[in-house]
This record gives sequence, C-alpha cells and structure tokens, in this order.
Amino acid sequence: MAGNSIERRIRWSGLIIALGLIIQTGTLFWTHPLSFMAFLLIGCPLVAAGLLLYLYSLVSHQHPSGAESEAPR
Amino acid sequence: MNNSTPILIFFTSIVIVLAVLMAVRAELTRGRGGKILAFVTLAILPSLTVWTGVHEQLERSTSTKFCLSCHVMHDFGQSLSLDDKAYIPAVHYQNNFVPRDHACFTCHTDYTMFGDYRAKWRGLHHVWVEYFGKIPQPADIKLYTPYNNRECLHCHAGARKYEEASSHHKNPDMLAQAASNKLSCLTADCHDSVHDVANLKDNTFWKGPN
Repeated sequence: MAGNSIERRIRWSGLIIALGLIIQTGTLFWTHPLSFMAFLLIGCPLVAAGLLLYLYSLVSHQHPSGAESEAPR
Repeated sequence: MNNSTPILIFFTSIVIVLAVLMAVRAELTRGRGGKILAFVTLAILPSLTVWTGVHEQLERSTSTKFCLSCHVMHDFGQSLSLDDKAYIPAVHYQNNFVPRDHACFTCHTDYTMFGDYRAKWRGLHHVWVEYFGKIPQPADIKLYTPYNNRECLHCHAGARKYEEASSHHKNPDMLAQAASNKLSCLTADCHDSVHDVANLKDNTFWKGPN
C-alpha cells in the first residue's frame, strides 16, 4: 500500500513537473510580457508544486513494517 | 530568441521526457537506480531548468523588443529614430551609445544594488496596467522620480568628451554639481530633449542602418 502511495505521488509529481516545463518551453518562443508572466505565474509554480510533491512523497514514505519513518521534530 | 535559447529548449525537452517517464513508469523507483533517477529527474533537473529559465526570461525582459511590445510604448520606440541630434534618446540609440537591443533598459534601470529588481517590479506593475488598468496616453506617461544623473554618469563619468566639453564648464563646479545630482543633466537648455512623444508627428525619422 505504502509503495502504491509513493508511486502515485511520484506519478503526479512527474506529470505536474512535465506540464510546468512544457509551459516554460512554450514561453521561450515568444518575447512578450505575457510570456514572462506565464512563465512566472504558471510554469514556475507548477514545477515547484511537482518538486514539493515529490519531496513530500519521500518524507511521508512509510516502511513496509508499518513504522513511520523518522521525521524532524 | 538569443543563441542560448535552442540549447535551453533542448535541455528542457529532455527533462520533460524524463519527467513523463517517471510519471508512466513510477514502479522504476522500487530499485536503487530508479530512486536515484527519480531524484535527479524530479528534483535536480527541474530546479536547474527553472533556474536557467528565470535567467533567460530576465535577460529577455531587458530587451528593447520586450519593452516596446506594449502598444502604449510605440511612440517612445519611434522617438528613438528621430532625425534630430538634439534628442538624447535618439542620439544614443542611433550611434550605438547604448546597445540597441537593450536601449530602454540601459537608460531606465537604476544603477544601484537592487536597481534591476526595482525595474522588474515596476515592469510587473506596467503589465498589470496594460491588461487590467487604465492605460494612460503616451504623452501623459512620466517617470516615477526625476531622472537621476547617476544613470547618465554610469557611462559618461570619466569620459574625455564629457569631462572636457566646454558646455560642461560654464560654471566652475558644474561637473561636481552634476555628480552630486544637484544639477540635472536634463535641466532646461542642457539635455532637455528626451522622449517628446507629444510632438513626434512633425519630425523626420532615421530609416535605420543599411
């Protein structure tokens, strides 16, 4: 179950990062303030969200024995 | 699009492919190699890509094309081609005293520690006004603060042509006053012909380099 959970988050993480990077690539073809805004307000947050989701999937991962991994207090 | 853009697009495309691979084959992360690949693909490479993307976008936002892409800036862009040696922006632009690709930014950024960022912040405000605010007439657009000589002296200070010009020695302490910003370079009867966009129609224009 834990394995499925982490893999599900990694899947979402990969998709969100890919989407953010596709938007970033699109903005590179157009030198315009709107392109800059799309990069800053859509592309960057999506990549950041995907990256954070991936990192969260790592720290929230439970060992197969069921014991929670140690988290910083 | 500058020289580094195709490289950035290629690099970003590879990261996209890897991210999609992680999305469709998440079970790869069960092995040690897959875990390392996931960390590189979903943490390190996207961070690097965004970092280079930010750099690229900031560089583009200093370009003349970028500044003039807003309709309200059209007349200011046209004033760069005025065929009149008294017009300071036109003389700078046409004689390559400023890089033509970055003409607006070169004169309108603050040459201070956070000047570039302040200019970017103002730029975001301009974009907001362009799409959601009330756009002023070009002739009504004014600087936020009086033009600081610091921006002129960033290039001209120490230059022989500037230091030895007879017009800069009308008073004995004229250069000192200019350096301390007590006497504006743009003061009346000095270099007061800047973007006079309200009176562009009656002028002739430089056709550009051959």
